[in-house]
Amino acid sequence: MIRMGKNDFAVIRAILAGDKEAYGALVERHSHSLFRVAFRITGNEADAEDVVQEAFLRGYQKLESFEARSSFGTWIYRIAVRGALDKISRRPADDSSRVAGAADPEQDEVQVADTAVRPDRLLLSGEIGALLQLAMQRLTPAERTAFVLRHVEDCSTEEIAAALGIAPSAAKQAVFRAIKKLRSRLAPLRVNP
Amino acid sequence: MNHLSEEELIEQYYSRDDTGAGGHLAACAECAETYAELKSDLAAMQTAAPPARDAAYGERVWRSIAPFLPVYEARKRSWLRGGAWRGLSYASACALLVAGAFIAGRVWEHKQIQTTAIAIPAAIPQKAAPPQQRLVVVVLSDHLDRSERLLVELKHADTGSEEMVSPLRDEARSLLAANRVCRQNAKKNDDPALAAALARLDHLLVELANQKGGLNAASLARLQDEMNSDSLLFEVRVLRSRIPDQQPVANNRRNGGTI
Repeated sequence: MIRMGKNDFAVIRAILAGDKEAYGALVERHSHSLFRVAFRITGNEADAEDVVQEAFLRGYQKLESFEARSSFGTWIYRIAVRGALDKISRRPADDSSRVAGAADPEQDEVQVADTAVRPDRLLLSGEIGALLQLAMQRLTPAERTAFVLRHVEDCSTEEIAAALGIAPSAAKQAVFRAIKKLRSRLAPLRVNP
Repeated sequence: MNHLSEEELIEQYYSRDDTGAGGHLAACAECAETYAELKSDLAAMQTAAPPARDAAYGERVWRSIAPFLPVYEARKRSWLRGGAWRGLSYASACALLVAGAFIAGRVWEHKQIQTTAIAIPAAIPQKAAPPQQRLVVVVLSDHLDRSERLLVELKHADTGSEEMVSPLRDEARSLLAANRVCRQNAKKNDDPALAAALARLDHLLVELANQKGGLNAASLARLQDEMNSDSLLFEVRVLRSRIPDQQPVANNRRNGGTI
């Protein structure tokens, strides 16, 4: 989670007083963090860059409603997470990045495009991350986002709930469902000692 | 022994604090094994690292969005200008409304005065006179009541008692002014009987009120004789008796309609 720069509030006051260029400092300060989480959720570089731009645009437009209860970093982070969630929710079902032939979403078996690649070879070659990405694409947008925030971004349940605009219990269940599905789909690749 | 669910194990894995499952995991080999598998799976779930962005990435993002961002101050100023103009418009409209209402009120008032001025002369011969009479009658009624009481007290006054004399003198003084008004009005209304009676009453009241050296037994006795010789009390009673014939007027007075 992005943490607040000490002078973010001063910058925001300057922006609201008419210093538009001051927003550039906030953009430069938080762009990298936003791109990182946006990429992890969308899994796509171009989409992540779009999410970052849209998040800062939306943040500027809503800057007057920004209340100093949270840091600007947290606030803009949540905007980016929701933007990324919207982005993957709007993706068409036949997105080329999805695994072909996945007729049953509850089907546990992961079908990769290159069937010539055996799971054990994937593990040995360290390509489990690629397979994980394919498995993640079969999660629902909310599950995927919740998992990324929990597992990768190390957000608490409350932070996930706030970012997704859902109840903490719903956020926790989204994380549970995502992990169950991923474990189930990655089970064939598990190397037993 | 109840084993931990997968949800509880996942919560234990991500929890920053001990969820209470730690003790069970230490005691239950089966759950510990399951938890070890979970940890292994989750540890293997390492997503691909995001592509690196150079140091100028933030600046590029800023340049891409900057043209689309309005200046807050400009928006506020324009809003303030708009607000100021709106305020001035409202103020002007209110001022015009007040001025219009004021002028209309003055015009209406002026017309009302003219109408009244025109209407009164025509109404005076028939309608304006009676109210004047009613007013006099009301005053006369009260005046005669009070005068009658004074004369009765004077008639029965103990000439040797100073305590009785003093209130008579005070009452006589207070009746003098009203008596003169009634007397003048009786003359105006061509009522000689009333005017004559009030003239005699006036004389008595003057003497009663302004007796030189104060009222003494001798002067009181003289005034009593004078009153009896003039039959003033009887005359006042007769005049007072005429008042019931004008009871509606009295009612009007009680009702506050006359005055």
